[in-house]
Amino acid sequence: MSRHASRVYRVALGITRSSADAEEVVQDVFLQIVHKGAGFEGRAALGSWIYRITTNVSLNKRRGKRRELETSLEDLLPRYKADGHREGDRAFLLADWSSMPDRELLAGESRRILEEALDRLPDHYRAVLVLKDVEELSSEEVAEAVGDSVAAVKTRLHRARMALREQLTRRLGAGR
Amino acid sequence: MSCRELIAVLDDYLEGTLAADLLRELERHLAECPPCRAYLATYRRTREVAAAAANVVVPEELKARLRRLLGVSRTG
Repeated sequence: MSRHASRVYRVALGITRSSADAEEVVQDVFLQIVHKGAGFEGRAALGSWIYRITTNVSLNKRRGKRRELETSLEDLLPRYKADGHREGDRAFLLADWSSMPDRELLAGESRRILEEALDRLPDHYRAVLVLKDVEELSSEEVAEAVGDSVAAVKTRLHRARMALREQLTRRLGAGR
Repeated sequence: MSCRELIAVLDDYLEGTLAADLLRELERHLAECPPCRAYLATYRRTREVAAAAANVVVPEELKARLRRLLGVSRTG
């Protein structure tokens, strides 16, 4: 129970960004597990079903909420010159905050910046980010959970990471 | 390979699924392009830090509620 609860809670919180909503999702999913009972063919079937149902319930919870926070992703993707080089101020292009340790990145002002950047991602982008980078599912498993093609999942994941990276670099990268 | 082409295949590069010829081109470009090296380092770190931030623990109160829920369903 504990392993499934952790997975469901992580995914639900990652998508809904609200602990109250995530708790409701966990209860909904567990009720459905109980009702399905022995209807699963095995542990693998249960695992992939849990990710699929958790993703669906979480995205449904988000429907119509906090859309105003979501940023247009186009503004957060790299811009290029005609020759394919990146466009922008050289100091910004060279900004590298990657040596900041976790204890610094995951606390205080940096943590707030990271949480805001995650909030601003569209729900479907955050869903693939959580399933791939947190749960470490394969692209095929993520595609099954979100009901989309592998190609669409890979594109969305790459755009989500680029958009997050851009936001973190704009706010953490100055002077590094 | 241009910066645009490099960034387009970063995901495959980090997954280790890039074809050998593209991998050679990417590594050659990285050796000569400090902005792309910074981009790769921060892209990789973004992935790590977003995963670390999402690694949350289930609240004890919720676990207790789930145990009650499962107990009731099994006995009821």
